Amino acid sequence: MGLIDLAFLALSAIAIVSGWRVFATDSMVRASFLLLLSFTAVGLIILMLAAPYIGIATIFMMAVEMMVMALFMVMFMMNPAGLNPMMMVHQNRFAIGAGVVAFLGLSAAVLTTDFPTDPVDPGRQVIRDLGLEMLGPSMLIFETAGVTLLAAMVGAVVLSARTGRFGPSDAGSRPPGLEVGGEPAGRRVEKASGHGHHHMHGSHGGNEDVEHAERHPDADGHDADGGESGRRPPLRSDWSVGERTMPLKTEAPS
Amino acid sequence: MTQVLATLVLPLVLLGGIALAAVLDRAVPALVAGRSLKASFVGPITVASSWAVAQTGGTEHPDKVNWILAPILYFTLAAIGLSVVPFAPGVVAADLDSGIVLWGACESLTVVAVFLHGWSANSPLPLIGAYRYVAIGLPAMLLSMFVLIAAALPAQSLAVTDIVEAQRSVWNIVRQPAGFVLFLMLGLSLSLRGPFDYADPYDLVGGTTAEISGTARLTWWLARLAMLVSVSAMTATVFLGGYLGPVLPGFVWLVLKTSLVLVVLVCAGEVFARLPPDRMMNLIWLALLPLSFLMLVAVGVELLLWG
Repeated sequence: MGLIDLAFLALSAIAIVSGWRVFATDSMVRASFLLLLSFTAVGLIILMLAAPYIGIATIFMMAVEMMVMALFMVMFMMNPAGLNPMMMVHQNRFAIGAGVVAFLGLSAAVLTTDFPTDPVDPGRQVIRDLGLEMLGPSMLIFETAGVTLLAAMVGAVVLSARTGRFGPSDAGSRPPGLEVGGEPAGRRVEKASGHGHHHMHGSHGGNEDVEHAERHPDADGHDADGGESGRRPPLRSDWSVGERTMPLKTEAPS
Repeated sequence: MTQVLATLVLPLVLLGGIALAAVLDRAVPALVAGRSLKASFVGPITVASSWAVAQTGGTEHPDKVNWILAPILYFTLAAIGLSVVPFAPGVVAADLDSGIVLWGACESLTVVAVFLHGWSANSPLPLIGAYRYVAIGLPAMLLSMFVLIAAALPAQSLAVTDIVEAQRSVWNIVRQPAGFVLFLMLGLSLSLRGPFDYADPYDLVGGTTAEISGTARLTWWLARLAMLVSVSAMTATVFLGGYLGPVLPGFVWLVLKTSLVLVVLVCAGEVFARLPPDRMMNLIWLALLPLSFLMLVAVGVELLLWG
């Protein structure tokens, strides 16, 4: 067994183990970068297959892609920073079924395909050949994939931008509770006291946040039971974050 | 044989460059202020040795593996990036047909390394630094790829050695002067410096370095300097003709040009102010990225008409 075989086995092991850890970890950021590690090992295997451009470009693109993916996943999920442990798997039965089918299909493909064994001529200009193929016979596939990816990128930006077509995207959004049906998690933004008082009486219905604050026994900020002096007095809270939502509330019918 | 020689020279270049960069970091402000330069030579050694013996701090539940690996990855990427730079005709550690792509992979993995360094501390300020850096570092890296493609066009090759040889008639800085400036900006971004230091800025109390001390801080500092050296050598190679030059041997020319770029980058880091991240994002996406497209088109048209 030569050095090349050893390198291939080691890289395959890294690719498989880190690929498995993607589904065993409990953080989106860790999952993304484990996937990056897996792809890096695959990229190095491709490099060994005398396809230097595709191999290195795989590592290059995957680094960018996984970085962006980690960022967007953290943005879309209510898991600040991605360090908090969370359940990363769902639809287990379907996933197991799909996994088994995919494994059997790929194994069958590997076993039945007659792979060429002739090594690539070292003097051959593989990158030039690849470029001519991409911008020649495969132009349609290349461009279709490009436009599709561009559409996906525009979609992701539209979804994640705060200033959407229909006003601030986070208006009235509340984080889920830490337990089922519990208080919304996260930081409470305190209103200026006089201002806030006005709004509590000024707005009728339609604003869950204010109703919620009114129903809360300690909503007026006074600590009713003086016995628990060490307890932090509840804040007058408004779950919508930021200044932009404030003018909307001022315009509420009074 | 030459490859072995290049592999042996590479650590020396990296170490020498790090020493030069560390001294310049102190000498440039001292020169501007008219102070004595003596402290600039002793300063880095004092600080580095005090970091080497200082206690390494910690936070609550950090991602220990990534926290330790991030500076090492950063340093390694600097070394790999330098490996595609030819030191003299035919003397290159990694003589790849797709050297430019390997450099690009180092750029993009640098963003990952800096992000992980901030993220794994499990602390607010490093995390903000990490996110800010990704927002600025990724588009900065993106436009550098167009600049590099425009540099590879005249050579009709992705190999760095061919790009140097193609500059025998005219250096790439003449072909795309704006591309040179954009690449210097990328250098500032990759080495977390001055106007592009969104990862470790003062307004975040050191950003991703806010929670580290001792040897961890020393490693991070060395890695940043190593990346500065690496990106300087790459700039000198891609835009200033690398080892090409009259009379003196090629290696000396490369060292001179690399040192020049290093001085320019250190001065730029001192002189220019940092924009707020959102304005910098707008600048990059709306002005600099189209500019890099234009440079690419200009070089392409030039080669079609007169190439």
